[in-house]
Amino acid sequence: MLELRPILSALWRHKVSALLIALQLGLTLAVISNAAVIVQERIQQVTRPTGVAVADIVTAHIAPVAKDYDLLQAFRLDLAMIRALPEVVAATVSRAPLTGSGSSSGVQAEPNREVGATPAAIFMVDEHFIDALGMQLVAGRTFAAEEIGEASETTSWRSNTVIITQQLADKFFANTQALGKAIYFSGEDNPMEVVGIVARNLGPWPNSTRAGNAIFLPILMDTQKHDFIVRAAPGQRDGLVKLLEEKLAERDSERVITVKTLEEQKNRYYAGDNTLITMLSGVVGLLTFIVALGIIGLTVFWVAQRQKQIGVRRALGANRSTICRYFLLENLMIATTGISFGVAAAQIFNHFLVSAFNQPPLPPATVASCALALVLISLVAALIPSLRAANISPATVTRSL
Amino acid sequence: MLKMHKVRKSFRTDTIETHALRDFNLEVKEGEFIAVTGPSGSGKTTFLNIAGLLEAHSGGQYLLDGDDVSGLNDRQRSRLRNEKIGFIFQGFNLIPDLNLFDNIDVPLRYRGFKASERRRRIDKVLQQVGLAARAKYLPSQLSGGQQQRIAIARALAGEPRFLLADEPTGNLDSLMARQVMELLELVNDWGTTIVMVTHDPDLARRAERNIQIVDGQVADLEYHANPAALSA
Ligand SMILES: Nc1ncnc2c1ncn2[C@@H]1O[C@H](COP(=O)(O)OP(=O)(O)O)[C@@H](O)[C@H]1O
Ligand SMILES: [Mg+2]
Repeated sequence: MLELRPILSALWRHKVSALLIALQLGLTLAVISNAAVIVQERIQQVTRPTGVAVADIVTAHIAPVAKDYDLLQAFRLDLAMIRALPEVVAATVSRAPLTGSGSSSGVQAEPNREVGATPAAIFMVDEHFIDALGMQLVAGRTFAAEEIGEASETTSWRSNTVIITQQLADKFFANTQALGKAIYFSGEDNPMEVVGIVARNLGPWPNSTRAGNAIFLPILMDTQKHDFIVRAAPGQRDGLVKLLEEKLAERDSERVITVKTLEEQKNRYYAGDNTLITMLSGVVGLLTFIVALGIIGLTVFWVAQRQKQIGVRRALGANRSTICRYFLLENLMIATTGISFGVAAAQIFNHFLVSAFNQPPLPPATVASCALALVLISLVAALIPSLRAANISPATVTRSL
Repeated sequence: MLKMHKVRKSFRTDTIETHALRDFNLEVKEGEFIAVTGPSGSGKTTFLNIAGLLEAHSGGQYLLDGDDVSGLNDRQRSRLRNEKIGFIFQGFNLIPDLNLFDNIDVPLRYRGFKASERRRRIDKVLQQVGLAARAKYLPSQLSGGQQQRIAIARALAGEPRFLLADEPTGNLDSLMARQVMELLELVNDWGTTIVMVTHDPDLARRAERNIQIVDGQVADLEYHANPAALSA
């Protein structure tokens, strides 16, 4: 015995406050469902697989003091020392991925082509890089020690072999076998034979559209831009930070050494996204809280205003749960009205966000779950005053005028 | 119909305890029309509230239709109110947001009647109180006397055996009061038992039997064999 129609006609006499709260609910839905999509998308972006063992990797940067410092020699000696540490699984010298800085170049599947180059991150590495980064080799081989050439920033260099990511292999060679094929730097004629394919590497800029296109060249590069990339044994990472600082200083105390975890650097890269996630989640929480307060306030007000009427209804045969149900149903009607309006408003708002700010489109499932959450929250909010209404004594009807 | 034996009711606040009813004994027979008078604060409303199951008594025994009501829970008491008892109040107490039809509909919905049955009953009682043409009016569009007639219609729609009225004419001028009284007499003629609290001695005299409550107890009983002759 749902008394929908009489509730509706009674509600109609208070339509302004009812519609205002419905409007508030609807707008809240429009905002939070759109915020939820953005948050969802960013979380997905931040937490998607990087292809490297972020949690175990430590990088060490060396800034030599002397001008004529033999960096390549230092690399060799330092790496030998680092690899001998029991806490270390593998180490290489290169540029760390996921940090927001690196180098990239256009790559082609044919020689001497300028147009239509595919941008790819370039990593110059030695033969230990797959283990050091914790990547997975899915085809071919890694570099051999004798394959590693030497180069500096001022000399020209070339490589005959290359290892690429699966994503790049798929792009260039679609469904055919990539191993043994050659790729070229844009506009150049030097073929680089693909000797290995790694499963994944997001490269230096995970948020860019070229993320995941990466090539690895067997070159030991004389540049201060390169860091040691050291993969710690499980659980050893934090200890290794301190240890590396000590051991590197011990080997040559004339240097300024900076050791960081890759995780820290990745978090810094994603700082903007993480701030956005936190802020938008905060806004969602706050808006929901405000709308819940509004509902509590309105229901408390209506219960107080209708004390006498509640007494009358009790005298006429309503029991406690009838009264409680009345206010919950009334609230549900307001919520449903607001939510229906909000679903439409959410689409309009999303349309604007998509076209003006290139934000993701709103999936129906997200709107639906936000709508459901809001209905539940409004019911819970209304429950407190409704239970109080149910406790109003039937004698109210004769005791107060 | 109704039997109270040594019923007590006390209200306790932090500082004081008020004994609104003490050793209250009364028996009301099926079909009676009883007028209850007494000074203000003597316990008349308290008696009606307990009789109508709006409030629980603190001690003694109250039998409604032979059944002790003291052990009933809220749901059972609410059902009894809905099925057996009709209420009429001094302040009419129509629900202001609902039109007259929907006001009368309230207890019928609680009863669980089907829509067609509710409509039949509402049309019937609206006819009986002479306001059939105003079904869609809001209470605020009626005079006090008309509102009280709608309140009576609402009380009658469930065909209760027992009608409780707390100063039903207290807010009405004498002409309207007489109309309401005539309506109640008619209802009593159909067989409904009525207990009416009133301040108006003229109206009280028209009832079959008067009781006076003083200080929470029934003071004396007065019988009228022929109420019509007395009011003449
Ligand atoms: N809810 C209550 N709390 C405390 N005292 C009450 C309450 N209701 C009634 N009383 C007291 O009980 C006594 C009887 O009240 P009532 O039955 O309303 O009298 P009457 O209807 O005859 O004027 C009065 O002294 C009144 O103050
Ligand atoms: Mg009174």
